[in-house]
Amino acid sequence: MRAEGIASFVRVWADHRRGVTGWGAALAGITFMYLAFWPMMGADMQAMVEGMPEALMRALGYDRIGTAAGYLEAVVYGLLGPVLLLVYGIGLGGRVIAGQEEDGTLELDLAAPVGRSRLYWERLAAVWALITTLVAITTLAVLASGPLFDLGVSVVNVLATSLAMWLLVGGFSTIALAVGAATGRRGAGVAAAAGLATLAFVFRSVADAAGVDVLAALSPFAWMLGGEPLVHGLDALGAAKLALLSVVAAPLGAWRFARRDLMV
Amino acid sequence: MSDTVIVARGLVKDYGRTRALDGLDLEVRAGEVYGFIGPNGAGKSTTIRVLLDLLRPTAGEARVFGLTPAAGGPALRARIGYLPGELALGGRISAGEHLHHLAALRGGRGRDAIDALAERFRLDLARPVRTLSKGNKQKVGVIQAFMHEPELLILDEPTSGLDPLLQYEVLALVREASARGATVFMSSHVLREVETVADRVAVIREGKTVDVDSVAGLRRRAGQRVSLRFAEAPDAAAAAAIEGVEQVRVDDHTLTCLLRGEPNELLQWAARGRVLAWSARDRDLEDLFLDVYRNHGGLAAAEGDHDAR
Repeated sequence: MRAEGIASFVRVWADHRRGVTGWGAALAGITFMYLAFWPMMGADMQAMVEGMPEALMRALGYDRIGTAAGYLEAVVYGLLGPVLLLVYGIGLGGRVIAGQEEDGTLELDLAAPVGRSRLYWERLAAVWALITTLVAITTLAVLASGPLFDLGVSVVNVLATSLAMWLLVGGFSTIALAVGAATGRRGAGVAAAAGLATLAFVFRSVADAAGVDVLAALSPFAWMLGGEPLVHGLDALGAAKLALLSVVAAPLGAWRFARRDLMV
Repeated sequence: MSDTVIVARGLVKDYGRTRALDGLDLEVRAGEVYGFIGPNGAGKSTTIRVLLDLLRPTAGEARVFGLTPAAGGPALRARIGYLPGELALGGRISAGEHLHHLAALRGGRGRDAIDALAERFRLDLARPVRTLSKGNKQKVGVIQAFMHEPELLILDEPTSGLDPLLQYEVLALVREASARGATVFMSSHVLREVETVADRVAVIREGKTVDVDSVAGLRRRAGQRVSLRFAEAPDAAAAAAIEGVEQVRVDDHTLTCLLRGEPNELLQWAARGRVLAWSARDRDLEDLFLDVYRNHGGLAAAEGDHDAR
């Protein structure tokens, strides 16, 4: 079967199918490896961090590292998962429109009988599909590790936390794509998204360490983890705020992309 | 109206402070092969990108099949086959997958022609596009431009980077497309590439159309190099006074000049003396274009006031 109606979506997928396989394997492997340390290190970990200043402990998200949920959050959802997925997603978002426009490989697609909006939304959807795949793989690795390494966290709460991470990563990747498509500069898209993501990460760390609520309120990382979804389940308000990143950025990028000069 | 396929009137395109097109005019009739000639940087690719709605004009207007490219949108581009000047192909997919993708963007149109065209151009469809040589990439570009038998072909330097055999094959495709009624708009920075297939040629320079003529007309106006050897030293001033004769040089008993237009008067004048030897050969059209590129006023200024049209 040939998916003519969604040729742009299919094309992005075809270009990145190998890449996503490699990233998926790496994410699953790293998740697995770190969670495998839990049975050995759980108690020691608690002892180790007890010597740390409290502010540093909180900034690193280690204040609850002695619990399974705390360890999972500090290692996978608070650091490795989002960081690796953001590196992938922001790079991809910057590449599929602006990057390919800059290196000329998008020219034939743009000259084809496909509207610019259509091309934009299909390529954005493909980015989301690739990110979804990686988040799903990471989540499966976490769920598989649960019984193996005696983590004892609820499946529902893992899914809720993964959902929040998916919205966060998708949001910043959407910003990279949207800013890139709006400007025609891959660098601008990647810099905007990576800059905002870094700021969000720092805001949450500082907010946790010093208890500055304003910074937490502004940080998508705090929207993702502030409600402790691994303990309390889905934080609907946090998830809604995370979704807002994409809901705001995507149409703005599409609007500008449809109106500007291409291949300049 | 219906027999003009491309019309541009006073087309202006600025990139920031740089003016790429400066009031360009064009009129391409249905069914003709139209050469679009100018030096690099003259605005050829910019014009083409306006026609494909990649760029929006700063001022003036372009219409393709009667529609502005922005208003025509995807439906208009469905009637066009486009070969970019600098074709970039990337990604891990094979040449065949790439062509099938481009056909899918056209709702499947042209897919059935891929295999035959690939065979004709000896393109290995299984090779990943990234690993293709420049010539092979150009083949992919040519195939995707022609495969859906579009009504209008817009080819930006279609033969550049191809070996002579492939150049010949591309020009053969152009002739075939023309024979089935398609309109072809092809750019080049050298006239030689288009003169064998083009009906008419527009010359552009610094974003303006400086001249439009048929290839035959251009050739006529380019003139001939005439050399006459006389038994006695000829009168250079008398020869220079003859209509259509320029650049008279006398070297001993031999007179050489550039002749534009009919040779009758020159021959009558020459016959008054005793002519020992003579030769006349067509001037390379490239020379004429070098004149145009150097001069501001276009062909008319380049050749004085001898325009026969």
